[in-house]
Amino acid sequence: MGALSQLLTIATWEIRRFKGNMTRDLLPVAVVLLILLVSVSGFIAQKGIHIQDGMYRIGVDNPVYMDIIGGDPRYVVYSLPSDISDIRSLGLDLAIRAGSLLRTNGDKGAAAQKSFERDYQAYQDHIYRQQTDLFAAYPVWIKSEYIVSELDFLATQSGQHLAAPRQAYLTPPEPENIVTDAIPPSRISQAEMEDLRIQLEEEAARGSDQLGRYTDLLSQQEALGELKIPSMLSPPLPFDTIIFIFVFIFPLYFTSQFFMMSIMDERTLRQGEALIASPVSPLILVLGKMLPYACGMILIAAAILFTVNADIMAILPLVPVILFFLSFALFIGMVSRSYKELSFISIFFSTIATSYLFFPSIFANVHIVSLLSPVTLVVHVLDGTGYTPADYVYSTALFYLTSLVLFGICIRNFHEEQLFTEKGLFETLALYLGALVSTRYWYLSLILISVMTIPFVFMAQMMYLVLFFNLPMPFSLILIMVLAAMTEELVKAAGFIGLISHRYPPLTWKVVIFSSILIGLGFLLGEKLLLFITLSQIADSIFGAALFLSIGLLWIPFLLHAGTAFCTGAILKIRGKNALPVGIAIATIVHTLYNLYMLRGWVW
Amino acid sequence: MVNHRLVTTIAAKEVRGLASEKTIILAMLLQLFIAMFSSFLMVGLSAMYDPSVYGRISGVQYGIGFAGNDTILFDLFSRDPSFVPYRMDPGVALGALKERQLAAVVWPSETLPDDEDPVTVTLYTISNDIQSTVIEVKIKDILLGYEKLLRETRKERLDFSPVTVTPSRPVAQNSFYEFIYGLLIPMLLFMPAVISAGLVIDLITEEYQEQTIDTLRSTPATLEDIVCGKILACILIIPVQVALWLVLLTINGIRIASLVEILLHVVFTSTVLILIAATIAVYYRDRTKAQFIFSTAVIIVLLLILALPSNPVNLIVLLAVGGAPLYHWAVIAASLAGCAILVILVRNVIRRVEYS
Repeated sequence: MGALSQLLTIATWEIRRFKGNMTRDLLPVAVVLLILLVSVSGFIAQKGIHIQDGMYRIGVDNPVYMDIIGGDPRYVVYSLPSDISDIRSLGLDLAIRAGSLLRTNGDKGAAAQKSFERDYQAYQDHIYRQQTDLFAAYPVWIKSEYIVSELDFLATQSGQHLAAPRQAYLTPPEPENIVTDAIPPSRISQAEMEDLRIQLEEEAARGSDQLGRYTDLLSQQEALGELKIPSMLSPPLPFDTIIFIFVFIFPLYFTSQFFMMSIMDERTLRQGEALIASPVSPLILVLGKMLPYACGMILIAAAILFTVNADIMAILPLVPVILFFLSFALFIGMVSRSYKELSFISIFFSTIATSYLFFPSIFANVHIVSLLSPVTLVVHVLDGTGYTPADYVYSTALFYLTSLVLFGICIRNFHEEQLFTEKGLFETLALYLGALVSTRYWYLSLILISVMTIPFVFMAQMMYLVLFFNLPMPFSLILIMVLAAMTEELVKAAGFIGLISHRYPPLTWKVVIFSSILIGLGFLLGEKLLLFITLSQIADSIFGAALFLSIGLLWIPFLLHAGTAFCTGAILKIRGKNALPVGIAIATIVHTLYNLYMLRGWVW
Repeated sequence: MVNHRLVTTIAAKEVRGLASEKTIILAMLLQLFIAMFSSFLMVGLSAMYDPSVYGRISGVQYGIGFAGNDTILFDLFSRDPSFVPYRMDPGVALGALKERQLAAVVWPSETLPDDEDPVTVTLYTISNDIQSTVIEVKIKDILLGYEKLLRETRKERLDFSPVTVTPSRPVAQNSFYEFIYGLLIPMLLFMPAVISAGLVIDLITEEYQEQTIDTLRSTPATLEDIVCGKILACILIIPVQVALWLVLLTINGIRIASLVEILLHVVFTSTVLILIAATIAVYYRDRTKAQFIFSTAVIIVLLLILALPSNPVNLIVLLAVGGAPLYHWAVIAASLAGCAILVILVRNVIRRVEYS
């Protein structure tokens, strides 16, 4: 009860502080800016965005082609003299002469032609849609059916193919099981023609009007019906989901900045000293200060969902994102020495976090990797597909875990000594790690530190997976392997750094060996635990195999982790703290060699 | 008038501070990260959306289960070197697909080419599979050809036909030219501008909030000198960052024309943003408030700029592709004039703050 009232008191103070900051000289300006923002948005909706205007030059010999180019502002149109043969000499990228499209060599000419072909397709579709006999203009309609094919990690061993064979045989394959309930394609009757025509019109409007497409995307417009014409049979534009990032993620990130500033303000001129000196535990202090911002962010997310008429279920995937932002805001607010450091670290963090949220989600509906980002779940809720509890755990677990660990570290270090230190970022980090080491049970602390780092490692490795999984093999595999090994070695060094920073126990050879074993143990433990919870789906693919090799026998990976940790520890012992990068490099090389050896069957 | 020596001293101090705090290095690392990301994304996406790229890498041949009795579509598939169609019983074909022995199953309806009704084709692929996407793109081409053939057969029934334009040669691949030049380059080049503007707020409000401004003011430097020095430092790092971008883009194989003109545009437009930020910072003297007002203001300014034709962003695109109209110099002049107006504004605000 006492804790709760303390929490509420701190939260009330925080709200009062925020209000005091925000009113007076700020509110009128903010209102004016808001009005300006709305009117400018209206203005831009009317005028359009002029970024690519006049990018290409096209020459035409007949004004009839203006129907095709129409209002596309990317083209500057010239009328073509009748006797010209070399279009390059006129500085043109494209030319239409007597119904034939010419282009200059090079990327720009090719891009211009590609854009023109898209315009031409739109024009052609426009003409075809108006035909009385729609089925003469569009004689083929396609229905896509997706077959679920489950693969487990043992699939390759039992002789099943991970992907369809790359070289087809002359005779058809003979499956073990035959599907009995296959339904033949149903015919389309004349009565359906007008419905399909309307569908095509809607689809065309969606395609041509960029802004309209985005608002449709958000307002849960019924997407394409089941039947498509061949030209619509393309994967969705990958850049659509960026709009979700803008709409959902940026307001949340922006609000977390206020929390970051509030923490930073406690530190400038040691203003927060009184607060820290009070008999309130750091946990209550941090939670109390955070509570108003967390509530505010949830309200903002709910308000956005409400305005776009989305199911409120979409808020659940955003909760871990909110926690993630707040935990990093707390951490950055606690470690930065100056405002500019604060700005740069938070810009750095936000870019990486946004990429992590954005890049997997562009593969929404395409690949299991897309589920790495909670934004994909939001996309699924908006397009009506929804998500299962398993999906939710899978895509949010890492966000929950990393936030929790980060909160834990920060709360543990929310003390005078750490808050008012003037040390640099890396030294502060070492200080924080040192504070996690208990003098008496330092060996337990080591295991704990290793377990804690696992979610971060997984997140980094997921990022590599997203980045590289569609590069050509085996390049992608090797790249992922090296980076994954490096990340693991980097975080395994955290235990040693904590020990050195804590100054007890002194780093003797005995301690180095013992610590290596503990770190290896902790790392393995954490890895297995997390794998158990979440990542079975990723672990299925060969990329998963590259990342989480150690699924089979337990003692070999344990030896590996302990051994590479020993490499780092030994270098630290011999050459001192500054040799850490060397130690990590050596450990990475050992680790990579091991991985290569284990994967030899796949790579070559 | 400002004291030039003092201004440069302050600017030099701020630049040194940035280098020693390694913050600028962080910003450059970020650039590297983004450049890496975009280049890898390009490779990945082009492999995904352009089968010709993918096909070239792997030289694959996909088995397709073909159900039904249609011959035209079957011929189209057998003629394509990347497919081997098999005539199969639908149930067997779907079973094979489920066991991943086939890449897709195609099942057209028994409709005659010149029928009143359209042909319906059911296309079965494996869900949640990146390879399916690639296959779908390849199959799309074949189906487009099929559509064209049938449309030709039924052409008598059309009311009117579109104007025909036939490309004299096909475009080999789906390049990301438009995305790179029309979006990525301007976005990346303006990132330093936004960073620098945020930085000038930090540098100014820091002096107030850490209460170091009083010490600084006890030197011969006036408030105007101090603010000018900070603004200068922020402007100076822009060419460095932009140059780094241009180098990174060039390494990625993206050739950019008219480098000098682009640099001028970026520097002057950024200066406008930095001056706006400095005005706000001097007025509010508090980072939270100043950053809040500035971020809203910068969105408004950028949207407004983008809504105008021939804006600096558009001109940078045109300069980068190598075909800018000569009046872009007039736009540079306009940016300069904007800077001049803002300089007057900033000085007025400083005077008001200094003597209040």
